[in-house]
Amino acid sequence: MHSVMQQPFKTAVLILVWGWLLFLVLAPNLLVVGASVMTRDPVSFLSLPLNLDAYRQLFDPLYLEVFLHSLYMAAMTTLVCLLIGYPFAWALSKVGKQRQLILIFLLIVPFWTNSLVRTYALKLILATNGLLNSALMSIGLIDEPLQLLYTEGAVIIGLVYLLLPFMILPLYSVFEDLKQELLLASHDLGAGRLSTFIHVIVPLTLPGVLAGVMLVLLPAMGLFFVPDILGGSRNLLVGNVIKNQFLDARNWPFGAAASIVLTVTMAFLMFAHRLSKRRIGEEGA
Amino acid sequence: MKKLALAGLLAVGLTGCSSEEPQVLNLYNWSEYMPQEVLDRFTEETGIQVVYTTYDSNEAMYARLKLLDDSAAYDLAVPSTYYVSKMRQEDLLLPIDRSKIEGFDNLDTELVNLDIDPENKFSVPYLWGTTGLAVDTADIEGEPVTAWEDLWEDRFDGRVMLTNDMREVFHVGLRVLGYSGNSTNPDEIEAAYEKLSELMPSVRTFNSDAPRMPYLEGETDVGMIWNGEAVMGKDTMESLEYVYPEEGIIAWLDSFVIPKNAKNPEAAHQFISFVLQPEISALISEEIGYATPNLAARDLLPDEVANNRASYPNATDMINAEFQTDIGDDALQIYAKYWEMLKSGR
Repeated sequence: MHSVMQQPFKTAVLILVWGWLLFLVLAPNLLVVGASVMTRDPVSFLSLPLNLDAYRQLFDPLYLEVFLHSLYMAAMTTLVCLLIGYPFAWALSKVGKQRQLILIFLLIVPFWTNSLVRTYALKLILATNGLLNSALMSIGLIDEPLQLLYTEGAVIIGLVYLLLPFMILPLYSVFEDLKQELLLASHDLGAGRLSTFIHVIVPLTLPGVLAGVMLVLLPAMGLFFVPDILGGSRNLLVGNVIKNQFLDARNWPFGAAASIVLTVTMAFLMFAHRLSKRRIGEEGA
Repeated sequence: MKKLALAGLLAVGLTGCSSEEPQVLNLYNWSEYMPQEVLDRFTEETGIQVVYTTYDSNEAMYARLKLLDDSAAYDLAVPSTYYVSKMRQEDLLLPIDRSKIEGFDNLDTELVNLDIDPENKFSVPYLWGTTGLAVDTADIEGEPVTAWEDLWEDRFDGRVMLTNDMREVFHVGLRVLGYSGNSTNPDEIEAAYEKLSELMPSVRTFNSDAPRMPYLEGETDVGMIWNGEAVMGKDTMESLEYVYPEEGIIAWLDSFVIPKNAKNPEAAHQFISFVLQPEISALISEEIGYATPNLAARDLLPDEVANNRASYPNATDMINAEFQTDIGDDALQIYAKYWEMLKSGR
């Protein structure tokens, strides 16, 4: 009786999930792969023959430089997120259940507002006659407004602001699973605080760190509107190159190839994440 | 589930047939390029709702229209100068039925029947304007700024703004070197890139959303601006001046066109006629500071608008002025590459 009721529901869910993955994940990605091996065409955007010119173009020193700079900014963003997120997640796992709920809630609330809108809000804060500068001037810390907006720093601040929750949440979940017994055992076996941290806590939370890095690093390279708004359209990310290739230069194969490289990097990171998780899983067992 | 879907379809079908349904005009236009009042009055007069969508570059508009070619998302768009000829030649536009357009004869004869659209079969001029120098005279010391070349001076380090428009920025670089802003010569484009890359350390931001804003926000003091933006900016900041650079300004003409698959070309024609009314054209020019090609409207403008050199340049201001032309795809690729180099260079 029960199973009869459940079966259609289960089928419906499965169809929905698979349909979603096929039509909204697989198909668009295949289209991108297809576009990346075609030839650029000024009139219809894409044409035959198939070739790998777009990928060759990626090794142009110019784009390598953009890619490296983008990677550098994404890495800085990830590092800052980690430095803030790690202690934050730790503390979050320590506070009472009630407070935990409130804090997580507060972490999620900004998502209710479109990230573009929040980026513009950040612009108002960082501007020369913005909130931060007027606050600093009114308490006498500075005489002249600081040039914060349209700098590399502003882009990184924007990226950290948008992506921090993606670092905190996976870290929080590993800290939640961290068994107190292991810490006590480490203590009983004579390990000091630092040694417990390095040899027990860090390895056990590593999957969370990797998950967080994965969720921050790649999106940080793609959020093209952040350099557009906070970086004054300078300090380009890979995302900007992709956008420019599609809209301004109308070189679709190249834009597609660049986004494939991002996807492949992501896949590589996920693979590393899996490996590390398996290793730790084995050690735990 | 099936029943629900069917009911939904039926409902759509029914409203589709109903004559009560309000008509919609999908207008695709530059950001801040049409006063809300004009849209409201159009809706009031005709009952047609206007859905206003914006873009900040011709390239974005073109790519979007081309991609959405079949889905008929827009009924009216406003490409600049050479994009009219490009879109016309690529068969992206619907011919404009002149019998449905009132007031075409009011247009300045110098701005119709241009090479971009010889008999204006596909386009009706909306506004024209220029890209010149913006100078915040309150924050600038020393010699007045009179030429593009002046932007390269050390005193403007970190205070320069450029539009986020590949062609316009290179236009400046090319003109400073004495070349045409429409150059297709790779050597000249490279030279312009070299010249512009010397300027880059001074450049604080690129902006084509609302180029007046970095000046008003105090982020930049000197650089490029569209004349209408300069006029609007001056309302807020008296010290913002619009300067016609010695090397020549960049001139452009934006025209109404109807995309080939427009869903409601009828409403598009109605809207064009509405805007061509002298009173409405005058209102637009007054509100957003660009020049109307509508001569009958120019007579209605208050003196301070009609005599505002920023909006309506005199003959000497237009010396060396250059309209942008289609440079072809090969040259475009060269520009695009140097543009990325310029923006990623450190």
